[in-house]
Amino acid sequence: MGKALETRDLVKWYGKEVLALNKVTFDIDSGDFFVIVGPSGCGKSTLLKIIAGILDYDSGKLYINGMDMKNVPPYKRDVSMMLETYALFPHMNVFDNVAFGLRMLGKNKSEIEKEVKEALKLVGLAGLEKRMPLELSGGQRQRVALARALVINPSILLLDEPLSHVDYRLQRKLMEDLKEIHRKVGNTFILTTHVQEHALSLADTVMVMNTGVIEQIGKPEEVYNNPATVFAARFVGEINLFSAQIKSWDGELCYLNTDIGELKANPKNKNTLSSGDKVAYAIRPERVKIGEEAKLYENKIEAKLVSYYYFGHYMEYVFQTGGNAKIKVSVPTEKVGNLTLGSTYLLGWSAKDALLIEKPCMIEGLDIEEVIYGK
Amino acid sequence: MGWGDRLAKVYIALIILFIYLPVFFMIALSFKSGAKISFPIEGLTWDWYIKPPTGYEYSAYISILHDNNFFTALNNSLFVSILTALLTCLLVTTTALALRKRIVGRDLLFYLFILGFIVPGVALGLGVAFMFRLFGIESSLLAVAAVLTVYTVPFGLILMMSRFDPDLATYEYAASVLKASPLNVFRRITLPLIIFEVISAAIIGFLLSWGEVIRTQFVMKGTGTLATYIKNELSINPITPKWFAAGTLIAIIAFIGLAIFAYIMSRRVR
Amino acid sequence: MSIPQLKMGVLDRVSKYSRYLLLLPGFVLLLLFLLIPLSMIVSISFFERFTLAGPENFTLSNYVTFFTSPQMSTILLNTFGMSLIACLIAFLLGYPMAYFLVFRVKSTRARFFVVSLLLVPFLIDWSIRVVAWLPILGESGIVNYSLMSLGVIKEPLELLFGRSALLIIWPQTYLLWMIFPSYLALTRIDPDIINAAKVLKAPPHRVFFDITFRLSLPGVVMGFIFVFVSTLGDYITPALWAGGIQTLGLSVANYAANFVWPYAAALSTILVVIALLVLYVLLKVVDIKKLVY
Ligand SMILES: Nc1ncnc2c1ncn2[C@@H]1O[C@H](COP(=O)(O)OP(=O)(O)OP(=O)(O)O)[C@@H](O)[C@H]1O
Ligand SMILES: [Mg+2]
Repeated sequence: MGKALETRDLVKWYGKEVLALNKVTFDIDSGDFFVIVGPSGCGKSTLLKIIAGILDYDSGKLYINGMDMKNVPPYKRDVSMMLETYALFPHMNVFDNVAFGLRMLGKNKSEIEKEVKEALKLVGLAGLEKRMPLELSGGQRQRVALARALVINPSILLLDEPLSHVDYRLQRKLMEDLKEIHRKVGNTFILTTHVQEHALSLADTVMVMNTGVIEQIGKPEEVYNNPATVFAARFVGEINLFSAQIKSWDGELCYLNTDIGELKANPKNKNTLSSGDKVAYAIRPERVKIGEEAKLYENKIEAKLVSYYYFGHYMEYVFQTGGNAKIKVSVPTEKVGNLTLGSTYLLGWSAKDALLIEKPCMIEGLDIEEVIYGK
Repeated sequence: MGWGDRLAKVYIALIILFIYLPVFFMIALSFKSGAKISFPIEGLTWDWYIKPPTGYEYSAYISILHDNNFFTALNNSLFVSILTALLTCLLVTTTALALRKRIVGRDLLFYLFILGFIVPGVALGLGVAFMFRLFGIESSLLAVAAVLTVYTVPFGLILMMSRFDPDLATYEYAASVLKASPLNVFRRITLPLIIFEVISAAIIGFLLSWGEVIRTQFVMKGTGTLATYIKNELSINPITPKWFAAGTLIAIIAFIGLAIFAYIMSRRVR
Repeated sequence: MSIPQLKMGVLDRVSKYSRYLLLLPGFVLLLLFLLIPLSMIVSISFFERFTLAGPENFTLSNYVTFFTSPQMSTILLNTFGMSLIACLIAFLLGYPMAYFLVFRVKSTRARFFVVSLLLVPFLIDWSIRVVAWLPILGESGIVNYSLMSLGVIKEPLELLFGRSALLIIWPQTYLLWMIFPSYLALTRIDPDIINAAKVLKAPPHRVFFDITFRLSLPGVVMGFIFVFVSTLGDYITPALWAGGIQTLGLSVANYAANFVWPYAAALSTILVVIALLVLYVLLKVVDIKKLVY
């Protein structure tokens, strides 16, 4: 499998103050569904615009299908993009907006007609061909923009937050459609989102970004199960994090002093750890057990139930330990017992499920505790 | 910097040069003694000391500084233009704020205001002259200012309305649900957001009325404004360097005024 | 039983009708100094005489005289043609200026500086500026001087007389009228719209014609209207320089100066009608309201 995209040390400054991309280097295999996830302002749109060619980078290299893209104008690149602001042409109706790219490619009339119809049907906007952009709702505009980028069918399709403004049902439908189109056409999709669920469920490969740098790239389950940094762990999925220091080893088992007392872990990254190291002790909420069940595990702690959130198929409980630290526990709905707010329960989890994360994040000079507890 | 940027810079410089071309010559010729205007420029004089005009061979500046009518006209011009500037800025602001909302006959009203600019100057000037004649009204500087305001308002209106932030109304709603009274909404939200355009409207009023000849000519009696005075002098008498000296004097004052203004404004814009 | 209600203050009542109140001052001005004068022009053009006592003897002869006069077609052609060509030249010079200012001058400060620079000549007296063309284009001006010393021509060219004078001086004098609305229209285009066209495979010229230029059309049309009507109404440039070129505006001024009021009024009416016709045609092509709402 070839590379659809390669970047080497891409740097982008806005003026003299904002460093939007700081030596970004990564590859994307062709045919990949690549999702970039990261907090607002981390440089996702900037990166996409640079790939599309509507923004210039300051230094580094950018290759698309193996070709250097320096000074290649956007229309000569084999990409198309859906912009975050939609940017529908205000003087064209929905049909003409979607047809624009096809006309630029010089397709004939009947082909255009057919493809536009199909694209509009796909995004659920059949029948709105004659409307002007100003006469559409926010979500409808987003879908026109999506259809407009999709019809061109380039080898790399860039989608900047294509799902942010539509309702949940439509989001699910569009996600399925995107996956299906991707499977059918086989081109490379690069999509940004700040919704981690989208990232996990859509992606073949996830890239977690933090202001201008890459935190981690990997398969969704890799990133979820083995976050490379505290930042990545915090950003993908829910997780309990405690600042900790390694006290001693007992074979595979590691003893740590943490904020909430002594805890044990059975880390996979044993080789790089030694006594005295400061690390983040992490445990996913679904790995923590409550009550009777908890007694079976190596790690046990008493905590008071302070609040809970109902999510339909699971319930998330928030406990408070004596040291005022919070622990989140999620339980599938069918296994939910009868817990009362304010009561104290025993929480427990296996040492095998705990993660020890060494690196706070990829930005130099940040203290691990700062990152664990947020800045 | 790509070649496109360089081309752009050169082009902008050329256009500025084109617009300034007559101005440069005006300045050069203002230092010429004698009456004949030709190229190459001969007999430059720097006779800056004040001596009463005697023959033909004296500095153009002396003869303009001794022209009393010139100063009367300058006075009139300042009065008319400042008044027009104030009226323009007031009317443009009120009208633009009203036309922003969907009201009955908005398009018609907009075109009506634009009509003030569309109607050719001679026609409107003549019409106002008729009106004064028929109703027996004496013309005055005030009337001149009013006629000129009709002409300047459309310009300011287009400037202000085209630059209105599309979200201005949203900000105002936000303020009013945050318990601001209508007056406070205007004072705290609307005005600060449009102040640049309000000031620009005043400047447009000043600039347009300062140079206007055609409308003023029909309404004005006596010496008139600087523009009509100089125009009349120029169409009766042969062209002498005196007028270039006058132009240069005005240019210097204008340049200083605009520089000060630009300095103040450039600290506001980003 | 009455339903309790919050009292409306005076200010609340005023602000409810504020949009109409706000329109009032502008409307009064328009009525007094635009609508009434315009209707006077039109009505007086249908009379034989206009004395201090008022207009006398209804007649159509003013229009008949004009449309049967031998110069009619020359005058109309001069007026119409010269103004249109001047517009076109102003557009060709001014639009790139506006475009470069918006898309190539990145710093707002530099942009502000250039715009201020463009305004300075405005404060210099208009007639002086027009007259200052003499040393450039006049019989012994710099252009003729250079051409003659280079041996390109033997006799000085009559650049300042006739049509050429108008076609040089008008575009220069009214250039800002074209730059200004085009500039405003261009600044209103969202840069992302242009980006979208680029990523949707549009080559540079298509981006320009299909998107940028298309979206700035309301401003361009506004500029055309500004330059067109300014030159239509400008009888002074033809009077000062273009000796022998009779335009409608100049005729109005001449007849008015000789107190032939009704005929001047008739010519004015024709001038206004031409302006409105052009306006109508342009509005059919492009909705200039897009520039403002
Ligand atoms: N035109 C600009 N000028 C200056 N700074 C900019 C500009 N555009 C973006 N930035 C800054 O660059 C950084 C990255 O912006 P970018 O738009 O790429 O973020 P993003 O990851 O897409 O965020 P979001 O999820 O909110 O869309 C931000 O700090 C932003 O403030
Ligand atoms: Mg973004």
